[in-house]
Amino acid sequence: MEIIKNFGLDPLLLGAQIVNFLIIMIVLKRFAYKPILDVLKKREDSIKDGLKQAEEGRQLLDEALEKEKKILQNANKKAEKIIKDIKDQSAEIEKSSQENTRKQIESMMTTAREQIIQESKEAENRLATKVSELAVEFLQKSMQDVFSGKQQKDLTEVALKRIKKVD
Amino acid sequence: MVSFQPETLFHIGSFKITNTLIDTLLVDAVLVSLCVMISKNIKIIPGLFQNSVEMILQAFYEITESVAQEKAKKIFPYFMSFFIFILLANWSGLIPGVNSIGFYEHGKLIPALRSTTSDLNTTLGLALVSAVATHTMSINALGLKEYLSRYFSFNPINLFIGVLEIISELTKVISLSFRLFGNIFAGEIVLITVSSIFSFLFPLPFLLLEVIVGLVQALVFSMLTMSFMAILSTSHHEAQAHASS
Repeated sequence: MEIIKNFGLDPLLLGAQIVNFLIIMIVLKRFAYKPILDVLKKREDSIKDGLKQAEEGRQLLDEALEKEKKILQNANKKAEKIIKDIKDQSAEIEKSSQENTRKQIESMMTTAREQIIQESKEAENRLATKVSELAVEFLQKSMQDVFSGKQQKDLTEVALKRIKKVD
Repeated sequence: MVSFQPETLFHIGSFKITNTLIDTLLVDAVLVSLCVMISKNIKIIPGLFQNSVEMILQAFYEITESVAQEKAKKIFPYFMSFFIFILLANWSGLIPGVNSIGFYEHGKLIPALRSTTSDLNTTLGLALVSAVATHTMSINALGLKEYLSRYFSFNPINLFIGVLEIISELTKVISLSFRLFGNIFAGEIVLITVSSIFSFLFPLPFLLLEVIVGLVQALVFSMLTMSFMAILSTSHHEAQAHASS
């Protein structure tokens, strides 16, 4: 008992210190540990969710990239096919247009040739007519003083008949 | 000379208001202010203060988890509260003016404040809380039958071991309380003695030493409490399974 007295042990003070510590512990638990640990837990959960969502996002992105790759491959194949078709078509069109042009040119040339022949024939005819007229006129003028009117007429008719025969 | 007993400042009825009790209230005020600051400013994106508090609490929670595993949630409040309370109480004795500002009575200086852990009432109170909480936790975890089987048995050898266990439980309380009390009280004596020889510079290394002693003693008390709680809450089968794994 003497030792206890020397150390100043007092049941009331001891009790007060015990009660004090219990109260402080409850206060700390309620207002410090719980909110902080809750926030930590919440943050941990949100980080986990974020990581999970990021992982899902990455998977979706990978899938989308894979899809994009496939779509691009298909599009490339289609584009190549379209280009090939267009090339074939254009070659065909070119060939047919060349053929048409050639035919048109040939037909134009034939027409031109015929026209030239026709025109040259007409020119020849006109020239012949002109020559006949000139010959008749020359004959008439040269016979004017030599032959009578009737003889001139007969000779002219004979000459015309002969010229026509020549034609 | 400093006495083991805390100095009584005044009485409220038959209740003595001692300088260590005032110091306890001072520590309480700091802790309550801390609680208010934490609970009012808590955010999902922390500031510097919240970050520091979170870092400390998380570090201590991880220590508790490493020792007590799934019982960490129950043990942590005791471990952390003992640590913070004892640390602040130990360091409160190092504040200039504590132990040195007071009044004279019969030619003897009565300090207005004295570190509460240099009072055996406080350290014994803390040790008793630790012991009662440890055993309550043990009963809750193991059940009354298994708890009692630690101390009482029909087997004479086990009964003897049980008696030793009871003695060891009593010793735990005494060792916890006297270790803390002795270290802090001795530290105060050293500081008072050194300061009375050289007032300037010379006490600084001793103050630094006392800062470390205060931290170490707070850690020792809280870590021991935590390990006692973890050990007593683990059944023999659980301990054997853990050991074999």
